[in-house]
Amino acid sequence: MAARCEQRGQPASPGRAVGPLYRAGEPAEAAGPAGSGGEPRAALTAAVERAIAELRALAAKADAESAGILDFQIELLLDGELLAPALARIERGEGAALAFAAAMNERIDEVTGEAGETASETDSEADEDEEAEPDPFALRAADLRDLQHRVLDALAGRTRADFPPGAVYVGRDMPPSVFLAHDWSAGGAIALGAGSAASHVALLARARGVPMVVGLGAVPGDAGDPLLVDGTRGTACLHPDGGEMATAPAPPSPPSSAPARAPVAFPASLAPAVGGPGLFATIDTLADLDGFDPAHVDGVGLVRTEFLFTHAAEALSEERHLAVYRRLLAALGGKPVTLRLLDLGGDKALPGLAEGDPAAVLGLRGVRFLLAHPDLARIQARALMRAAALGPLSVLLPMVTVPAELEAMALLFEEEAARLARQGVEARLPPLGIMVEVPAAALTLDLFPQAAFFSVGTNDLMQYLAAAARDNPAVAPLCAGAETAMFRLLDHICASARALGRPVSLCGDLAARPEAAGRLRALGFDGLSVPPGQIEAVRAALAGAAPNSPPGRG
Amino acid sequence: MAEPLPLIGRPSAHRCQAEVEVTHGVGLHARPSVAFTRLAKSFPCTVEVALDGSADWLNGKSIVKIIGARIRRGTKMRIRAEGARAQEAVAALSELVRRNFDEDRKPGRADGRPV
Repeated sequence: MAARCEQRGQPASPGRAVGPLYRAGEPAEAAGPAGSGGEPRAALTAAVERAIAELRALAAKADAESAGILDFQIELLLDGELLAPALARIERGEGAALAFAAAMNERIDEVTGEAGETASETDSEADEDEEAEPDPFALRAADLRDLQHRVLDALAGRTRADFPPGAVYVGRDMPPSVFLAHDWSAGGAIALGAGSAASHVALLARARGVPMVVGLGAVPGDAGDPLLVDGTRGTACLHPDGGEMATAPAPPSPPSSAPARAPVAFPASLAPAVGGPGLFATIDTLADLDGFDPAHVDGVGLVRTEFLFTHAAEALSEERHLAVYRRLLAALGGKPVTLRLLDLGGDKALPGLAEGDPAAVLGLRGVRFLLAHPDLARIQARALMRAAALGPLSVLLPMVTVPAELEAMALLFEEEAARLARQGVEARLPPLGIMVEVPAAALTLDLFPQAAFFSVGTNDLMQYLAAAARDNPAVAPLCAGAETAMFRLLDHICASARALGRPVSLCGDLAARPEAAGRLRALGFDGLSVPPGQIEAVRAALAGAAPNSPPGRG
Repeated sequence: MAEPLPLIGRPSAHRCQAEVEVTHGVGLHARPSVAFTRLAKSFPCTVEVALDGSADWLNGKSIVKIIGARIRRGTKMRIRAEGARAQEAVAALSELVRRNFDEDRKPGRADGRPV
């Protein structure tokens, strides 16, 4: 048997697991940077060919009536005119999925008879046509949407590199999309040469109960070698001996049983005392829905929608968005759900749409990225408004710095609401709130009366406040050291929100720390949003921290 | 390589135009458009369409263009073709429109050509 070899790194997600080593990287580097050159062009052409082949296979089995509809879609895909605008966008540097989705949306607008909405003179003519009840030409918009969906799926399907269930993922770092595309129910763990305990993938691993260690340096071993990851101690051990293997819990049977459970089982119905903050779940993937009982929370306080979609083509599909939002609303059975707009850029990449660049945390990310890519924002806005017609849904804008960003996004929502109304699609304009995670916004909440609510993102706020990148282990201690500054600012934020009469909640790791619950409660937060695995621990801490007299609230 | 048909200098031989009125129930929605463009694409010549006296000629082989034109019942369609078999193309396409795209007869054969 090969020699035992233990390496020490930093713990990123607690728990122990052993599994065959899987080394990421070299063989098939999935989805290369799709921003430049002929690559996205080839990807789009291939996706269209695949879609045509699928449609032909369907048409061969279909009855004459259905075959007619499929023929129509095939004919559309064969028409160079259909792809030309998308290819022109690719020439200008857009990724394949964005170019295709946006070009198709323009085409759909054209077909529904409201091509240039700025050119109001064309509207009058189109409006007359829209009156006629069953518009045979409106059917084609549905066909185009179907086609758009099919090609985007084909684009997404091409670039999925998964690894065997139960394996231990070894690499320099791990893209969140790879984590999200993987089925963790068979166990497994993550051992990273670089990485950070504060990265998004670490956050996902903790929420999902997947043991993870970062900062290991070069990890030896070959593919298939048994590797034990101890995410609590921060070690990785190649060829562990028999005893160690035995003590390592085999696959974590219920995936939701995060190691950090509340030590004492409190009655589940024990709601926080009157006046305390509401308790909400934070959701990164639909699998998180299995980790808590919706009856025992006040709702979902944060859905990080950028993690729901593992490929640009999915994030650009209005129907995909809608399907996921529908499921979230249905699972919550009438309780409020707050969804955050795609928070891309910075360290959050979506291959083909946003390239990950940790250096860009001060650049084009969050709402800045969305306003720079309005086609993407419009797709999500439409899906959110269609979902808002089905249940209590609010929308959160990430990384807002100045009021003009909120105004621009509100205008975009209003424009899309008008468009949906024209198309006869049921929709509702949801309340728009902002993330408070940029110090400039945190200090000037009084300038944001247009915001319906506030949600403090402590992870980013801390790194901007301390000028210490959260994924750089060398400066990580500064984040902890700046906690006094953070709490002073939180006090200011709560006071400003109260003065405006707007609810303010807190999401991010701070909310999930039971020892902070008392202080957060005293500050007067209306809600805390925490990962499913931490809900009971925070509930217990809040109950324990309930003061004899209710906190003074305006 | 064989010399292609001469296009320049003898336009009359390879250029043809006709006008036909759309009588099909709704107009050129999905299925009729497929029939029209598939038939148009079966000819080597260019095929263009202009509506109700417009000077705006649309590519008759592009379903996107034909669909986008929202061609309704009663529309006067001018069809013109240029190149090899132009005359044949215009005749076949005009005939397809007159036959209401064979919708009532053969649902299986979308391009309207004889089997």
